Amino acid sequence: MAENTTKSLSHPFLMLLILIAHAAMMLLVLLTFGLKAEVLRLACFVLAFDFIGSIVLQIVHREACTVDSVLLLVIGMSTIYQSCFGELEFALRHYLFGIGAFLICQLSYLLVRNPYRAEKLKPLWYILFFGLVGAIFFLTGERGIWIDLGFITIQPSEFVKPVFVLIAASSIRTQLHKRELFGLHFVPDNLMLIFCTAVIAGLQWWCRDLGSLPTFVAVAGCGLLLRFRYLREKMSVRLIIFLGACAVAAAIAAWTLAPAYVQERLHSDIWSDMSGTGYQQVKALTAIAEGGWFGKGAGNGSLVHVAASRTDIVFATISEEWGLFTALMTVILVLFLPAAILTVPPRSYYHSGLALGVAAVFMVQMTLNIFGSCNLIPFTGVTIPFISQGGSSMLSSGILAGFLKAAQAPVLTSPCAERRG
Amino acid sequence: MDLTELFSQYPYLREGITAIVVIFVDICALTILIAAGRERRTGDRRWAKEGRGLMLMCGNEVYPLGAAELLIGRHPSADIHFYDDEISRFHALLTLQNGKWQIEDAGASNGVIVNGTRITKPHTLKRNDVIRIGKRELTVVKGSGKVVS
Amino acid sequence: MAAKTQQKPQEPMNPQLDVTAPRSMRRAGHGTTLLIIAFLAALIYLAYVLVTQSPDYIAKAGAATYGKVYDRHGDVLFDGSKPLSSYPAGQFADVGNLIGDTSGQMSNTLIAKHRSELANYSFLYGGGNQNVSLHTTLDHKATRAVYDALGSMDGTVVAYNWKSGDLLVCMSKPCVDIALGYDKIEEMPKGSLLCKAFSPTVPGSTQKVSTLLAAYQYCGIDATNGMIFDCKGSWVNASGQKINCHNRSGHGTQTLQQGFENSCNPFFAQLVQSEKLPLTAIIEGYTKMGYRVNGAEQPGFSLDGIQIPPASTTLTADTDFNTQWGCIGQGETLVTPYQLMLFQGAVASGTGKAVLPYLLSARTDVDGTVTSLGAVRYTDEMFTPESAKAVQEVMIKNAENHYYVSLPDFNCGVKSGTAQVNEDGREYENSLLAGFCLDESCPVAFCIVIEDHVKSHITSAQLAKVLLHALSDT
Repeated sequence: MAENTTKSLSHPFLMLLILIAHAAMMLLVLLTFGLKAEVLRLACFVLAFDFIGSIVLQIVHREACTVDSVLLLVIGMSTIYQSCFGELEFALRHYLFGIGAFLICQLSYLLVRNPYRAEKLKPLWYILFFGLVGAIFFLTGERGIWIDLGFITIQPSEFVKPVFVLIAASSIRTQLHKRELFGLHFVPDNLMLIFCTAVIAGLQWWCRDLGSLPTFVAVAGCGLLLRFRYLREKMSVRLIIFLGACAVAAAIAAWTLAPAYVQERLHSDIWSDMSGTGYQQVKALTAIAEGGWFGKGAGNGSLVHVAASRTDIVFATISEEWGLFTALMTVILVLFLPAAILTVPPRSYYHSGLALGVAAVFMVQMTLNIFGSCNLIPFTGVTIPFISQGGSSMLSSGILAGFLKAAQAPVLTSPCAERRG
Repeated sequence: MDLTELFSQYPYLREGITAIVVIFVDICALTILIAAGRERRTGDRRWAKEGRGLMLMCGNEVYPLGAAELLIGRHPSADIHFYDDEISRFHALLTLQNGKWQIEDAGASNGVIVNGTRITKPHTLKRNDVIRIGKRELTVVKGSGKVVS
Repeated sequence: MAAKTQQKPQEPMNPQLDVTAPRSMRRAGHGTTLLIIAFLAALIYLAYVLVTQSPDYIAKAGAATYGKVYDRHGDVLFDGSKPLSSYPAGQFADVGNLIGDTSGQMSNTLIAKHRSELANYSFLYGGGNQNVSLHTTLDHKATRAVYDALGSMDGTVVAYNWKSGDLLVCMSKPCVDIALGYDKIEEMPKGSLLCKAFSPTVPGSTQKVSTLLAAYQYCGIDATNGMIFDCKGSWVNASGQKINCHNRSGHGTQTLQQGFENSCNPFFAQLVQSEKLPLTAIIEGYTKMGYRVNGAEQPGFSLDGIQIPPASTTLTADTDFNTQWGCIGQGETLVTPYQLMLFQGAVASGTGKAVLPYLLSARTDVDGTVTSLGAVRYTDEMFTPESAKAVQEVMIKNAENHYYVSLPDFNCGVKSGTAQVNEDGREYENSLLAGFCLDESCPVAFCIVIEDHVKSHITSAQLAKVLLHALSDT
């Protein structure tokens, strides 16, 4: 009984805390802009989302509140950030996509919370995967990555990510299921994963958008490493050396064989071409430097006029207006999502794989975005989950967050079986 | 009161407030993490319910069934592992679905014997079933009382 | 319950319910932890890079305002906070190509190398602060004195305190006036944008100091001092080539001291060809002093980031005409006035090591904290202390016998030189004077170059007098 009270107490308390955190940020916005209708509008929408979201969660299910709470906190924060860039204008689209991400997170949770069912649906994931790959191949004109539907543009490669995570995860039963062909023992599932990785790598090459390739490679790598770890307690030194050598060889091959435009990015000095290829990074770095630790104040930034200020270099935009300290803290906040499985371990191999896959996606995306815009690594056009503007990225991140929630609160009993039992 | 004027009068006022707000937001995140630690107990209880509170016992040793899939075998990466020569590296697989624990042969050379019969297809475990793996006998028991983890 | 206990007596009554997740379930957690730790470490590194390099970003992006550069007495040498035209005309006319400015027109100046340190910016305080300044060791008054004394002539004067390393004067004429801007950059005289003290030039007879040092080290002090060579106005070497002396009627039989004071070319050519001093010994001596002999590697110098190339020469055979000329100061020998001054510093100290000059003495931060820069650092041993003392003696005697009129008030050692320069088809002679002053009030090593000195109203020795007076006044 005592435990029940802590449970019922902590949830509303957390939601209240999130509400206060957003209110404090809104106060800061208020202090900067003064009492304006737009400020009130932003405050109402953000706080209403917190309020309604928490009530919905309270009614639906109270379990695994870590992911949901962080999600509420992050979406509210990013809406405030996005609304204040340059000038105060409520970012309605971003807000709606944020709600969409929150809802789709619940849906994807319902879909994969039973690891058996999620894995049994793997043929469906393969179909989806190849469907999306086909869509990128055939529907995006000019070897691009966008599908223009007239009223909305979709970036299908974003949606490949959650599907790929579902493919990369595997259960121990699947790993024990070996086939033999020409005297070679192999696990069909592993071969499929390698095949899918090759397909996506080829596609990215074809699209001339190698930006999200590291994400897929990381997910596949994590999936394969976890598979090794399922059946092997300790890696032998030889295997580690072999894998290391493979990685180095692959890196060297990629480095030397990369197409010309990638080579150019790898070797160019942004400061020698400040108005050309290095334009965005130069602006981003200057903006961060001008912002300092505590920023110029919401709405006072100038980076908003630079292309991709709300997506690819959003870290710098936040840094300029709110300060580097805030920007770093926001990034760390997003880290709490994949970190959730450290407190509540998953209960099945498949969910373990999902959780690590999601962690890989989030971490690699943030690494590419932040370090790319700060010129520590080549600049690529990837997004920070939940912070960057962009519907496709927002929704696919929502789906991924749902996987994390599933790993936290698995349900192995289907409702009909419950009724029978 | 014009706030913009106030800020220009006290140059570090806004910075200070920003710092306080950001620190507060992170305290909020920290609280969520602490709450997550508490959630672990909730998760354990939920799992106990899912797994019907079953555990395996071998002698006085208790083997908790803490995951939906458990590998029994001689291989060190097995979840329940015994260093017996008669036990295969990957001997048996325990799975939980719809509240039922099932055991199946994972390619054991000596087979998995439940209640004296060697199983050929997945066998649903009940309380007090005795699983024989190599020389070892594992008894299915139901735990009671407060959940430990 | 009782029945069950009878059936299986070894089973405890109520085993505690345990649902601990097996280790295998933590493997994903381990992976995530590794990823998070790596990411956080990278974030910390990023923050470090951003904080430390942000002044650089601001400076490169042209978004910065800059602070002031002061000389050793607080005179302003550059000011980024207000228009330079608000200063008296000619305030910066004598230091433009050394101190430089933030326009980016010059790349080897103090400001070009320390641009971000001069930016009025810090990550914590942001921009808009006016505190930042760089303090230099330069003596603007003395610099101005030699600049004015040169009048319409071109040349360079570089001098430093050989005890402390303070670079006191470093003036190169023609010099850009940064206050006037670069609108008429085409009309500026050639060389206005670079400080010639850092450019290799023909050393003329000042090179004989280096040759003498090599001889002292190889042959020993007494043996070298005892050398006697004959001069008949010209001399034919072993290869049949003629070396002319500036004194056409010849100096007659000379001791080393006399040969040095006469700056006699045949004397030194015979010294180079002499079996007592093999060419390998000269090459070794030169290399130790920092010459790039026959293309060998030498590091050169850095004066607070300003790059200075090493001296260079080509020496092939001790009977070869060009080799002999190279050791006399013509041929292919090129030395920067800076390095000639450095040799004098090592001679003056009597140790064979010179204190390395420095220009930046302190930096004032955005928040007003002053960081002291520049410490006494030494070169490697360029020659032995004994030979340093011997050369010192020879040079002091030279000054006493020949420069007493110009430099009566100072305990000096000097060596003059006349360098024939052929530049862009124009042939002219530069007058050089390298020397040192041992006085407590004025411990200075210097090098003076007056270009095309035939037209000059002032001799290099007179300019040295102006320099030393200006420096000992302050």
